[in-house]
Amino acid sequence: MLKRILALVKKEFIHLRNDWWLPAFMLFGGVLELMLVGWATSRPINNLPLMVLDHDRSAASRSLVISLENTETFELEAMVGDFQTIEEALERGQITAAIIIPPDFAEEMAASNGSPSLSMILNGAESVPAIAALRATEGVIASLNEKIIIQRLGLSSDEFSGFAPRLRVWFNEALSEALYTTPAEMGLMLEFTTLLFAALAFSREKELGTLEQLLVMPFSSLEIIIGKSIPVIIVAFTDFVLMLSMIHLFFKVPIRGSLPLLFLLAFVYLLVELGKGMVLSVISKTQMQAFLLVMLFGMSDFMFTGYAAPVESMPKALQFFANIVPAHHWLEIIRGILLKGAGMDVLWPHVLALVILGTIIMTFSLSFVRRALD
Amino acid sequence: MTPAIITKDLTKKFGDFTAVNGINFEAARGEIFGFLGPNGSGKTTTIRMMLGLLPPTAGEIQALGISVKGNQAELQQRVGYMSQRFSLYNDLTVQQNLQFYGAAYGLNKVDLKNRIQDALAMAGLEGRENAKTKDLSGGWRQRLALSTAILHRPELIFLDEPTAGVDPISRRAFWDLLYQLVADGVTVFVTTHYMDEAEHCHDLAFIQRGNIIARGSPARIKETMMDGQVLEISTSDAIKTVKVLRAAQKAGKIPLKEVELYGSLVHVVAPNIEKKINDIQAILKKAEIRTEQMAVIEASLEDVFIASMK
Repeated sequence: MLKRILALVKKEFIHLRNDWWLPAFMLFGGVLELMLVGWATSRPINNLPLMVLDHDRSAASRSLVISLENTETFELEAMVGDFQTIEEALERGQITAAIIIPPDFAEEMAASNGSPSLSMILNGAESVPAIAALRATEGVIASLNEKIIIQRLGLSSDEFSGFAPRLRVWFNEALSEALYTTPAEMGLMLEFTTLLFAALAFSREKELGTLEQLLVMPFSSLEIIIGKSIPVIIVAFTDFVLMLSMIHLFFKVPIRGSLPLLFLLAFVYLLVELGKGMVLSVISKTQMQAFLLVMLFGMSDFMFTGYAAPVESMPKALQFFANIVPAHHWLEIIRGILLKGAGMDVLWPHVLALVILGTIIMTFSLSFVRRALD
Repeated sequence: MTPAIITKDLTKKFGDFTAVNGINFEAARGEIFGFLGPNGSGKTTTIRMMLGLLPPTAGEIQALGISVKGNQAELQQRVGYMSQRFSLYNDLTVQQNLQFYGAAYGLNKVDLKNRIQDALAMAGLEGRENAKTKDLSGGWRQRLALSTAILHRPELIFLDEPTAGVDPISRRAFWDLLYQLVADGVTVFVTTHYMDEAEHCHDLAFIQRGNIIARGSPARIKETMMDGQVLEISTSDAIKTVKVLRAAQKAGKIPLKEVELYGSLVHVVAPNIEKKINDIQAILKKAEIRTEQMAVIEASLEDVFIASMK
């Protein structure tokens, strides 16, 4: 039995060597993707293009614009003379935000009972920069408000002491997006790599017409499954180690928890995805079909991982689904171990969920694939 | 010794469609058994059932004296298979393919080495061990596939249209290999739709729409299936000859069974054909067709099958 499995594994590795682009894609595609994601998200969002339509043209309005620029969130694209220019720029996606200062802005600011106002238009089509723009503007307006209050109360700024919050962010002090995105992205890349590779295991031989021959040879279905799984496990695990080293070295993602625990759980997770991939593989007739199924499953898993939108804010029914998606628990485990230094005492609900789901998926997959092969 | 293969009322249905309809036959050991039929007639389905890849809907199959059902592990070691689609790994070299098969069948190192030598010699691929299989031409690949499929020295080998798409010279070379195998006592079960290949089989079964419509040696099938003899006519215009003779047949002027174009010749089939030669000549003369030659010949299997397909 061992000899036959070994023969199969050897054959699979010869395929991999001959089709070198496939393992190269498996190993370095993920690393490259992580590099780009990490790079693009390693800095806070700034230099968002802003347009200003200033009807007031006063010292007060100029000072407002300068305050906005000083946040570094904005970069002044242009001072414009009419609203139409703003409308066109927004439609083209040229700017993230536009501020319209009314003609009585300075006057209302100075009057003891004035109510100064201003309008802001955000490009909601891109919600992440729009939210950053909103926050920055709110900050500027808050300090402007403070100034007006001090002025109206007739106090000097030394005398005034308002509410001064002390904010501390745990686990990611600099609120670097890369610390959030790269571990999640790594977890997802491991899913895609394993699923895709496993899905090609049988669909490839079916497409080439060699599966029949394999089935006529004295391999038991279990031997075929094991022989096909070993290369997937080796390549996917190597991929994981490569990706982890990359985000640790390049993006300074810490490994605060136990590395052996992370490796062990990565292995468990890998087996779960392997099981899913094998099922997709035996129900597909061609490699293209297998590939499309992987995209479908991978994409829907992605929605439930909590990476794109927090699971807590999903509708109840979707929250239930998220809990039966192994990738969701896997991402919680990665983040927990890497960023929070969490151990089994904290992570056990996710580990337990992963193990239970894994057992169900593996049992189903094994009996399904064996039945398909026999 | 028991026959190599026995099927009893072997049936396979896919939903409402009956692919194989209760067929019965025996294939004797040490012979080439030809399984003939047009595409979609149930040939591949039957082979898949005999290999244990597909469970029959009804009926049973015995191979090498034991039931296929429940004895797959034993039969896998004693039976070989070469599929319709090319069954080797294209990106592996000749040597790698042979090694993989040998290891799969659990051959030890010494045996494997010797048998790989034999296989290379048989396929005529000595010195090309390191060539990628996809770089070989069709004929070489078929011979390599055959010598690979018999690496574990099976007693019975199934070949599903092994020579489809291969040139005539390579086909001849392939059949020479089959005769060698049979000389060594191996039973060969081969499907084909080449009639010249069918003539080379010891025994034949002709399957059509899931039913066996003819059984026996090529000579016996010709005797029993053919109602009449074949007259081969060579004329100045073969196509016109067919038209004229068919028109005459339809009009009831002459009782002919078949009028078929056969390359540049025309084959006419009828009982007691000698007595009709004069009539045929008269008809052709009237239509201003010059007859060059006319002879009663032995029917080929192709004549028989075209006649029996109608």
